[in-house]
This record gives sequence, structure tokens and C-alpha cells, in this order.
Amino acid sequence: MLDVLIHHLRLGAAGMATAALAVGLSGAAQAQTLVTWDDYTDVGQNAVIEQLNKNFMAAHPGVTITRTARTFDDLSMTLKLTVAAGNGPQVTKVNQGAADQGAMVKQKLLIPIDDYIKQYGWDKRQSDSVLARTRWSDTGQFGEGPTYGVSGLGEMVGLYYNQKVLSDAGIAAPPASFEELVKDVDALKAKGVTPWAIGTAKGHLALHMLASIDQAHIDSSNRKALDDLIYGRGGKFNDDAQVAAATQVATWAKNGDFLDGYSGISGDDAVQLFVAGQAAFMISGTWYFGDTQTNPDIHFIPVPPPAGVTKPLSVGGIDLAWSITSNSKDKATQDLAAQYIDYMVSSEAADAWAAAGFFPSTELKDPSVVKSSLLKEGLTMWKTLGDNNALGHYPDWASPTMLKTYDDNMPHLLAGDMTPQAFADALDADYQAYLKGGK
Amino acid sequence: MSAATEQSIDSAGGTAIVAGAPARMKAQEATSILDRMGKGNVLYVLPGLLIYCLFVFFPILAAVGISLTKWDGITAPIFRGLQNYLDLFEDDRFYTALGNNAQFIIFYCVFPLIIGVILAAIISVVGQRERLVLRTVFFLPYIMPTAVLGIIFQWLYNPAFGPFNQFLKAVGLGAIALPWLGDFRFVLPAVGAVAVWYFFGFCMVVFLSGMQRIDPSLFDAARADGAKGWQTFWHVTLPQLMPEIRVVLLLTVIASIKSFDLIFTMTRGGPGNATLVPNIYMYQLGFQLNRFGYAAAVAIVGALLVFAVNFTIHQGMRRLDRSSN
Repeated sequence: MLDVLIHHLRLGAAGMATAALAVGLSGAAQAQTLVTWDDYTDVGQNAVIEQLNKNFMAAHPGVTITRTARTFDDLSMTLKLTVAAGNGPQVTKVNQGAADQGAMVKQKLLIPIDDYIKQYGWDKRQSDSVLARTRWSDTGQFGEGPTYGVSGLGEMVGLYYNQKVLSDAGIAAPPASFEELVKDVDALKAKGVTPWAIGTAKGHLALHMLASIDQAHIDSSNRKALDDLIYGRGGKFNDDAQVAAATQVATWAKNGDFLDGYSGISGDDAVQLFVAGQAAFMISGTWYFGDTQTNPDIHFIPVPPPAGVTKPLSVGGIDLAWSITSNSKDKATQDLAAQYIDYMVSSEAADAWAAAGFFPSTELKDPSVVKSSLLKEGLTMWKTLGDNNALGHYPDWASPTMLKTYDDNMPHLLAGDMTPQAFADALDADYQAYLKGGK
Repeated sequence: MSAATEQSIDSAGGTAIVAGAPARMKAQEATSILDRMGKGNVLYVLPGLLIYCLFVFFPILAAVGISLTKWDGITAPIFRGLQNYLDLFEDDRFYTALGNNAQFIIFYCVFPLIIGVILAAIISVVGQRERLVLRTVFFLPYIMPTAVLGIIFQWLYNPAFGPFNQFLKAVGLGAIALPWLGDFRFVLPAVGAVAVWYFFGFCMVVFLSGMQRIDPSLFDAARADGAKGWQTFWHVTLPQLMPEIRVVLLLTVIASIKSFDLIFTMTRGGPGNATLVPNIYMYQLGFQLNRFGYAAAVAIVGALLVFAVNFTIHQGMRRLDRSSN
């Protein structure tokens, strides 16, 4: 614990020194307040962002950051209304997708940042596929047109496995293919071991399981159809592949392969049960590294693909993006906001996040800051996905109401009172209505 | 307002008339207590009235206005007349919410009322000290915020960690240790049971106070006529408690129709809308889906429903009162 603290302090000091040097070179020093909103309400995340803000202020004498932290839900609920009223942040984190970022772009509440991307070279720090997730055209087309944000943290959904639980059940290695995964689940069940840690009372573990299975069956060379679907260019939510994925998940639920009473357990509780060794597998995202890294038997890999798919997609994306709002009215404020974002997506900031066990989207300056083996596995996977252009999508980004449609229908699919086809049809009906409604 | 309170106001008015000067008596006889407040008193009412207008009356008017528009909360609202209301009456999910709310009324009103009356009848005949203890113990749940209760019971019901299922498994009843808040068949009764637990103590205390109001000579007469315990309860106690029953019904019906916090903290309307009620639906429409116009229409219909149901209960109870007298 002490060495982590010392490391944090060292990073903080190094950050301040670097930033101060940068300011010394630029010579910019003026009294100004920068109002920022973020969703770093978690204790660990809060400590990192506070330190980063201090570093930034030290590097920009005269600049004061007025920070407001809100939970994800509160941020989503209040941001649009506040900025529309001419109040609130000048720089903020915004959830990508039609419901938040799309709606704000439509109302010109966010400012395009393409000039700053070129100026600071953010496109060299992050892949184009990642930056595309914050693009919106003038006609409301997602994934195209000007860029409205850039994120400092990455996210991936993958397969967590507990090697000790697998070994105790006679399974020497994690599954290398989807067929092996299905066999392992059956073998575990036969031995009386719960295969899957999942809870559906709160959270979206079932959605992530379903989407991960579906996207693990897509090779990155064939990703266009998925990109088109999520970016609102058209497609179907009820094609054979998606019905097959829903059938697989429903089958596991019906066979009792999930935690006992999973429908009454929240996602967070399921994670705690998984960490406690109550199940062999769990499909979820890197945001649970903080919890899962406490058990050294737990590892993280992509959901394995079926035979014939060599570069499978993994569901994922980026954390909420840093954006400049319409409250940054003059060029000087916009430039300052861009400097702030530049620091948030810098290698120094990435080191600070990684040292605290979080998952940066920008390459690290000093890879030795990563102490967690789970985070190392995640960073390796992130690099592979980047190299293969295989970072998939959250399907609920496809329409403003899609997450609600998943939430409404998923319990029925898992309870067996809705067929996989009917489930996929319900998703598709939502999507087609969105396309038809002119977005 | 109960009949008892109405009587006391009338009685107070009567006393004032007798004490006043004879010349003023005639004029005062023709006026109500509100008329006698005088224009000078308006000044004292004004601050409260302004706060009421600012935070209650104008928001209600605004909600009515918003319900006639299509509004995402950011852009200018687009007027669409009564279309939101027409859409609402064709919205299956709204009917699901109404159906669930109707079932919740049983848990918010009927069960607490029955349990409250029975417990009040039992407690009213025990000793003074026992009565105090029992009354306090049964009333305790009512002093807790329902949002806190929701969070506590969500943990109690948890299939993995919760004590309910741990207990069932420990006594060999593991087969019925269900995921209560995740099971379509049991989630509504499971949430409703918490509402019963919350309200029955309140009902009981109201009925106990009502029982103290009943003229003891009625019980003496019943006893002299040879009435047994339950006969006395059925023919004397229960009819005399009608004013209290009316108050309890009005308050619990209002609570059930405006229910939100308990359900939100326990299930958020799930699983699969199995506990969706109009207020949760309104929240989802407004704050998750940015359909503020449609959400306002749900709110207005919900408010009208509260008025309609309460008016019906009020009228029904009044008729029942008259026929029993």
C-alpha cells in the first residue's frame, strides 16, 4: 500500500514538473476559471482526477478548475438540461451514443474538436476506430463527421475465468474456442460447479454476455455490418447470428448454468460471488478490475471465437468522452479547455490511471507503473484489439431507447417465457422505429 | 377531514357567536369561519401562498402545459395538443403500469387496514403497559423513510446473501428459497409485503385512537344484550370506526397511487416491467428517454386518478356512513 502511495506521489510530482515546464515554454499565464464535470465518483478514480487537476493547475498559473463530480446516471440526467440553460461545465465528460452525446450535438451544445485533434496529435495516441465513436455528422449520423470528444480511459468486455475453480474441476486451461467454452460449461455443471457468475436484478451483465457472444462470432474483416448497425446506417437486430447468441444465453439460463437465484442478484453482487470463487466464468468489463484483481486466480481474456474466426471482435469502447461545451464561448476558453483535455489523454495521465489500477486508453509512458497482473492482461488485449481493429460495440448505443428495450425483454428471454426470435424481434422493432423516426 | 374534526370546528364557531356582542350576532351567524378571517389576515397567508404557488401550483400548471407538447428537455417544445394523451390510452406499457398499481393498492390499503383493525381490537383489550409497548413496536416501521426500507428489504430478499433465503435453506425449505425480486410471479407480492409492513402500524394507531372515542355505554349495552366478543367488534366497534377507516383509506390510496421510492429502490419497475407503476414509468420516460411531454401526460393522468379514486372512496364511505346511522 505504501509503495503504491509513494508511486502516486512520485507520479504527481513528475506530472507537475512536466506540466510546469510545458507552461514555461508556452508562457501562458492568465486568471481564468475552468468549470469541469466528470463522473469519477469512485474513491479510487476521484483520487486520480483530483491529482491530475492539481497538476494541471500547477502547470497553468492563474487557472482554477471548478470541478463537479456526478454519478453516471446523474450526469446523464442533468448535463443536457444544464448546458442548454447556459450553465454548467465548459469541459465535461459525455456518454457516447444517441441519448446523450448525439442529442447534445444536435442542439449544438458541444463544440467540434477536430482542429485540436490535429494540433495535439490525439489521433496518434488513439486509433481512428476509437475516435469514430465520438463523431456525429450534421445530419445526425453517428460515427461520421466532426469529432466531439476524446476519452482517457478504455473499456473492454471479456471473459473472466477463475483458474483455481477450473483446475479443481479438472479443466487445465481456459477455453481457446467458443466450442470449448460450451463444453467447459457443460463439464463444470456435471461436476456440480456453477459455470457462470451472473446477476440480472441490477446492472447489465446479461446484455454484455449476449453482445460478447454475438460479436466473438464476427471477424474484424467482416465488421462493417456491425459498424453500420450501431452507427445507425441500417441493418437488423434479428439476424440469424443474433438469434443464435440469444438462444445460447437462454439455454444456459434454462439449464441452471447461472448462479442460483441469479434473477434476484445484482450484477455487483454476482461479481463479489465470482471473486469469492462461487463460479468459474463471468463475462463483464474492465471496470471490474478493481474488484477482481483481489483474487490472483482470476484472469481476463477475450470471449473465445468459434472455429474459422481468427480476429474476433470484443465488445468495448471508451469511457465517457471529454468534450468542450457551448459554455466555452470564446477562443481563449476553448483553447484552455483543449489544453485540459490534452493533459487528460496524455501519457502522464495514463500512467496515473494505470498506477491506480484503471485502464487508460492512451499508451503508457512508463509501463512499469502497472502492478496488477489483471491490468497487464487487459492492456495486452487492448493492444491486440487495436492492432486487429477488433474493438466491438455496445449494442445499446444503437438507439436512445435500446438499453431500455434490452432491460425490458432480457428477463423474459432468460425466464424462458419469450423465444430468442421474439426477443431479437423486439430489439429490431426498437431499432427500425429509431431509423424510421429520422433519428 | 373526519366527521369528528368537522364537529369540533362547528362547535368552536358556536362558542364564538355566544360570546360576541348581540348586535354582531346576526351577521356572524350567516358567515363561516373562513369568511370571518377578514382581509387583513391575507397578509399573513401571503408568504405561504406565494411558496405554494411557486413550488406547487405553477409546476402543476407547467406540467399541464408540457403534457400538450413534444419536448426533449433541450429544444423548444412542439405543441401537439392532446396527442400525448391519445397515445397514452393506446400504450400497453401504461396499462401494465396501471394494472400493477391496482394490485399494489391491495398491499398498500386493504391488507394494512385489515391487519390494523384486528391488531387494534386485540391491543385495546390488553393492559395499559403492554398496549404502550405493542403500539410502539408495531408503529416503528412507519417512522422509517420508505427508500431506506426498500434498500434494507432488497438485501433481506437477496437470494445469495439475504437472511430470508438463508433461513429457509437452514430449516430445509431450500426449494422455496426463490429469487424473490427476480421472479415474475412473486416480485409484486414481495415488494407489496414491505408496504404492508410499513403501513399496518399506522393504520393500527389510527384505529386505536378511534376506539378511544367510542362511547363505552355502547359496549355496555352490547354486553347487556348478550353480544360475544366478535359480535361486539362486528356490530359496534367496526361501524363506529368508519370515520377512521375513511381517513386510512384515503391516505393509503394516495400513497399507493403515488408510490415510487419503495419500488424504485427495490426493483426499478423490473424485472421486465413486472412492478412498473405510473410514477416509475413517468421517471423513465422523462429522465431516461427525454420524453418530457409524454412523461408529463402520465403525471397528469396519475394525478387525475388520485382525485377520481379518492372521490369515489369518499362518496362511497359517506353513503355507508349515512346508511349505518
